[in-house]
Parts: sequence; C-alpha cells; structure tokens
Amino acid sequence: MRRAVLPVTAAAALTLGLAACSSSGGAADGSTTSAASRSGEAAHALNVTITSADGCVPDTTNLAAGGITVKVTNQDATAVSEVEFLSGQRIVGEKENIPPGLGGQFAVQVPAGSYTLYCPGAAKENIPLTVTGAAQSTGNQDVAALLKTATEGYSQYVSTQVGYLVQAAETLNTALHGTDLAAARSAYMKARPYYEKIEPVAESFTVGSDNLDANIDARANDVPASQWTGFHPIEKGLFTAKSLKGLGSLGDGLVANVKKLQKLTTGLDYQATELANGAQELLDEVSSSKITGEEERYSHIDLLDFANNDEGAEQAFAQLQPALEKIDADLSKQISDAFTALSAATDKYRTTDNASGYVLYTQLTEADKKTLASAVKAVQEPLSKVSSKVANA
Amino acid sequence: MPDAVPQHDLGQEPATSRRRFLAGALGGAGLAAAGIGFGGGFATAKATEPEQARPAPAEVAFYGPHQAGIATPAQDRLAFAAFDVTSTDKDALKALLATWAAAAAQLTKGLQVGAVDLSPDRPPIDTGEAVGLGPSNLTITVGFGPSLFDERFGLATYRPAALDPIPSLPGDYLQDDISNGDLCVQACADDPTVAFHVVRNFARLARGTAVMRWSQLGFGRTSSTSSTQETERNLLGFKDGTRNIKAENPADMNAYVWVDEETDQDWMKGGSYLVSRRIRMLIESWDTDYLADQENVFGRFKTSGAPLTGTDEFDTPDLSAKKDGKYVIDLNAHIRLAAPVTNGGEKILRRGYSYTDGIDQQTGLLDAGLFFIAFQKDPRKQFVPIQTRLGQHDNLNEYIRHTSSALFAVPPGLTGPGDYYGKSLLA
Repeated sequence: MRRAVLPVTAAAALTLGLAACSSSGGAADGSTTSAASRSGEAAHALNVTITSADGCVPDTTNLAAGGITVKVTNQDATAVSEVEFLSGQRIVGEKENIPPGLGGQFAVQVPAGSYTLYCPGAAKENIPLTVTGAAQSTGNQDVAALLKTATEGYSQYVSTQVGYLVQAAETLNTALHGTDLAAARSAYMKARPYYEKIEPVAESFTVGSDNLDANIDARANDVPASQWTGFHPIEKGLFTAKSLKGLGSLGDGLVANVKKLQKLTTGLDYQATELANGAQELLDEVSSSKITGEEERYSHIDLLDFANNDEGAEQAFAQLQPALEKIDADLSKQISDAFTALSAATDKYRTTDNASGYVLYTQLTEADKKTLASAVKAVQEPLSKVSSKVANA
Repeated sequence: MPDAVPQHDLGQEPATSRRRFLAGALGGAGLAAAGIGFGGGFATAKATEPEQARPAPAEVAFYGPHQAGIATPAQDRLAFAAFDVTSTDKDALKALLATWAAAAAQLTKGLQVGAVDLSPDRPPIDTGEAVGLGPSNLTITVGFGPSLFDERFGLATYRPAALDPIPSLPGDYLQDDISNGDLCVQACADDPTVAFHVVRNFARLARGTAVMRWSQLGFGRTSSTSSTQETERNLLGFKDGTRNIKAENPADMNAYVWVDEETDQDWMKGGSYLVSRRIRMLIESWDTDYLADQENVFGRFKTSGAPLTGTDEFDTPDLSAKKDGKYVIDLNAHIRLAAPVTNGGEKILRRGYSYTDGIDQQTGLLDAGLFFIAFQKDPRKQFVPIQTRLGQHDNLNEYIRHTSSALFAVPPGLTGPGDYYGKSLLA
C-alpha cells in the first residue's frame, strides 16, 4: 500500500528539516557578528538572469537580512522553468513557470545566514548566497510555526469529522436494524460524507491483513466476497435488493470499525507532507473512482462523495495555505483559485430533487463528466507540488 | 487464413498454391525449428549488437523561419491533440505558449522537459517514458484555432481573414466533440512513444490553463512531402500523395503553403494554415469491391500507383484521354476532382496519417481511415473549394465519412530560445 511507506518518508524529511534548521541557525549567529561592517554593501534586491550557457547568474551574492525581492529573467534556458531560494534543504521562496522569454519575481523574508539559489536543470544549478545584517524577528510568521499550526488544525478537523462519522454510523445501524427502508437509505447518505472527507487517514491504518479502509469502504471486487463488509454491501442491500434483510450485522460491523478509526486517530500527530499528500490522494480518488461512477454503483450518489472528497482536500490545503503563501504565493493562489473553480463546477449539479443533494451519476452526460474531471485535474497538478515545498520547512 | 489450414487439406491444393507453400514451410518439424530459431536469433542480436537496437539519433532543427513538421520529411508516427483554453488570463496563455516552446526545444533534441529524478518529494517534471529513445526526428507544430480569437483575450482584431471557420461541406458527418479547438499540437516522430510523450506532457504543462479537447494517434504517413521519400499507401491500398507538393520545390511551397505578403496579419508571415479531417474509411465495404472499380474510383492502378492513362506512378494523368467514347479517368474519379487543373491551379500540401481507433462497438466494423492533414496559404481558396468539389462528386464518397474537422493558423517558426508561439501576437 502506498500509504504505508509515508510515515517513514515524512519522518526522514522531518529529521532533515531539523538538521537544516539548526545548521542555518548556527550560520546566522556566526555571520551576524561580521555583518555590521558590511551591511552597507548588502542588497535587498536580487536580479537573477538564467541563460543556457551560464545557468543561473545573480547580480550579487551578498544580501541584506530582512525582505529581499528576487527578480528572475529567463533568457534562453529551455531546460529551466523555476528558481528556488533555499535555506539548507528548505524552500524559503520560489518562482515557477518562467520559461525563456518570460520573467517574474518573488519575495523572501530571511535572517542572516547562508542560503542557496537553486535553478533545477540549469548549467550551473546552485549558487551560494550570503545574507548579512540584523536578523529581523519573524515571530509566529515563521513558516515552521505556521506548519505546526496547520498540522494541529488538521488533527482537530479529523477528530471532528470522525466524531460525526461515529454518530452517523450509529444512526445508520439503528435504521438497518429497523423496518424503514427510506430512513435507512437517508441515513446511508448522511454518513458517507464524513468518511469521504478523511479517507486517506483511514487508508494509512493498514497493518498486514488488517485494512481499516477496506473494512469500511471496499467495493465489491476489491476483496473476496466473504470478506466484503462496510458501507458498500449495505448500499447494495438498500439500493439494489431494496431490503434491510441481513444488513443489521453489517451495520454492527461498520460501527465497530469507525469506532476503531476514532480510537486510532484520537491525538494523532500529522506531518505537513501528510496533509499535502492526503489532499492529493483524495483528488486521486475523485479522478479514479468518483468520476467513473464506480464508488456508489448501486445508489449512484457519486457526486456526493465527489463533493466531499474535494471538501476534505480543500480543508487539508486550507490548513497549509498560510505557510504556503510564505513559500510560494503564486502556487498558493493557483491552487486556491482552482479549488474555487472546482467548487463552482460541482455546485452546478446540486439539486433538491434527490436525497443526496446532487444529481445522480446516471444523470450526468459525458460532457458533464469531462468538465468535472478537468476541474479536478486543474487542482491536482499544482497541488502535487505542495508536498515537496513543505517537506523540509 | 493461410496458416490456419488443417494439414489434411494440403493434398487437395495445387502444387503452385501460395497456401500450400506457406503451410508447408510452417508445418511439422519446420514450425518448431522456426520458433526456436526466431527466439535464439533475437537473443543473439540483442547480446552482440546493442548499438543497433535503436536507429541512429536523428534530429530535425526546431528553430527556423518556419515551424518544423510542415515542409520537413513526413515521419511515420503522429500524435495530434487539440486544446481548449480554460483560463481567461492572457498572461496565463502567454506562459503556456512559452512553456510549450521551451518544452518543444528540449524534446526535439531528445531531452526531457525537465528532470525525472529531481526530488523524492515531488512528481517528476518529465513523465519519463521517452528517456533513451533519442530525438527520433521529432517535430512539434503548434497552431491557433479560430475560437482563440474571440473576446476572451482581446485578439479579435488579429484574426486573419484566412482563418475563417471551415463552412459545412457536402458529405460532412462531423462530431463536434472531436472537432475544432483553441490550440493544436502536431507531434510527428519515427517512434510512437516519442510522439505520444509530447502530447501527454503538453497536456500536463497546460493543466489549469488549457484542457485537451480531443486527440488522435496516427501511424504510417500517407503522403510523401519530399521527393526523397517513397509514396506511401493509405488504408484503401492506394498510393497517396504522388502529386503532393514537395519540400524540394520552394516555388510551390511559396506559392501554395507559406503565408507571405498577401496576409492581412503580419504575425502570420512565414506561417501556414493547417486543416485536419478525420476521414473514416468503410474498409469492409471497400474490401468487397472488385479491383477495376477500386481503380476507377481513384483513377489509378492499385499496385503501381500509375494513372489509368499511364504506366509509371509519376506519369501525369491525361484527364482528356478517352477509350470507347468514355473518359479513361472517370469524370468523378478522385484524382481528377483533386487535380490542380480541376481546381483553378490550386494545390495543398498533404501530410496525413492512417489511424485506427479499434472497432465501432455498434456494428463490429473497424473504425479506421485517414487522419488527413493539409497545409496551405489560404484554406478559403484551397482546401474549402477542393473539398466542396470532392464532397459533391467524388466516387470515393461511397466509402468514406468525414467525422471531424479543424482549422488552425500555424504561426511562423521560432527564432531561438526566448521566442515563443505567437509572441508577436500576444506581446
């Protein structure tokens, strides 16, 4: 399983990040001493010219602590499309989408220390930069602090959603033990969103044959028929067999599994990369199974899942957004705009005619599906870059 | 099928039968030996001649006065895609076209768009499937559809008159979802993966700014665009493009293909207009037509490619020749209606490819045919009147259906790194 390896990667990234932070902190102390005599020469503007022959060429390598504006012009380096300002392994700021003929700028706020200008793909990729002068306090604006707030905020979000999921699953279970098919169907639709918003978290709890995501959300062909449990056999009973017969025990199992999820996620710490990758996985889900109508193949309420996968991804991104704005404001805006466009595209399919609140998958035309898929892809591509940017922060 | 003939039938075949010959060669012990021989030979070749596993690197210059992929010799593989711009931000469009230009410069040299192994934390910049395949004579040609010149980017006054949308033509069976588009990318290469890699990565680089509207893969060029190339055959088995404009004839290129002083838009000088038509061939019906009728439909002999009035492929068709009071080349024969003399002297540069998209699930018939591409100075004077005449009268119409249509203005070539598609139009 993909998710199983993530905690290891994230832990390694964290270690690297800490090492980088402490070493750059040390360098900052050292250079502050000598900075006073040279601070007059240091600049607050950095002009970078990228050429095919010489790679990344800054007009100075001696900069002043505080705000620095980096202006980039790509003359003719077809292999280079971005410039990064690094502190150790950490991206302090960067500009993407600068092919030959175009330019752009970005701003960083840095204390004294040693930094690197990194132009991936250039003839000369790494240029050491020295920042001197009094380091301005960045206080709680510091990216690392913002990311800590982000992961705490996401942990809170997951706890809340899982709490609702447990309640909704219990309501569904009560209905499954009763005799009112309509009430059970309605309870099914009310429970689904809470799971779809936080699905990657459940996916991360896969230990050997104990696969919590499969136990809760497997589709008919995902697991052997005898092991098929969770939401979807219930869905099949409610919408295909149109009977509550035998669904009571499935309801009991679902409640037990979501409670297990609640226990596992309570007080759980997340890494910033997990938020980014989790958001990405939610959108992968949307692209691979919601837009194809595979997820809710009996009830056809795929758009409800679609909207909630999007919502979960947007929530994870929203937690990271304040930090990402510091690191790459353009990217942050691009993703934010794409999420807004995706919500608008999805909202067009809201209807009060169906209990799910959305038109059924079977009512979508091929053109509708194409439009929705494009809107998802427009978020996925920029979002896929976030993980690397917050990895070492 | 010949090699499916049961052994006990062989005795009933005449000694000279092709069927007998094939079955005999593959029969009994010979079959097993052939199987082993093939496997062994392949392994030996791989082990001893690794250098010959791929053809020598072959590169077509990317920068120049005209975009490559028009006058340059037609390669064997095509990946074509049309895009719709979803952003309404002119700067985003500019960034996209500049990014595509940089990517095209890299790819045509056999390089990647960007690093594959950049960082374990991020997706590779280049998707990687063409690593090691070399330039493969890749050409990338980018064009702008009439719809790009609507109100979105303020380009209405820059739309060339010649970029007038193609009107509905006789015999059209067009599907809107595989027709037209704001932008097009034509990638041609010797290797199919190299060509496809372009379309895939261009779509990825466009994410958030433009989406792919439709795409078409093609195999086997159906036209020769250089007198150094053999004339290829289309899926109907006939040589196609015998009388095509050839790159070695600059007078023809200037007269019929490259946009020059006659244009109302300076930014198009040195460019050309691309017309694409997906022409489905009703292959199964064609295959049951008798040879003389097939030849009558085209006006050429099937095997030699010679006109019915000649003996050699390159003999000029004698459209006035009669036999027994009837024209030798039928009045509605394809080559007569398409001939320059029938069309007021007009010619187009054809650069099409065969395609197959599997079968039509409703009928079980092959969905295959010609992805026709033509370049010209002014479609209003060239493609449109020629196709109008063909669509009305061509004997071939019984066997073909035009299912998609698109028109694009292909701007001139890029001068060098830093220049990008439509720079003078958008700057």
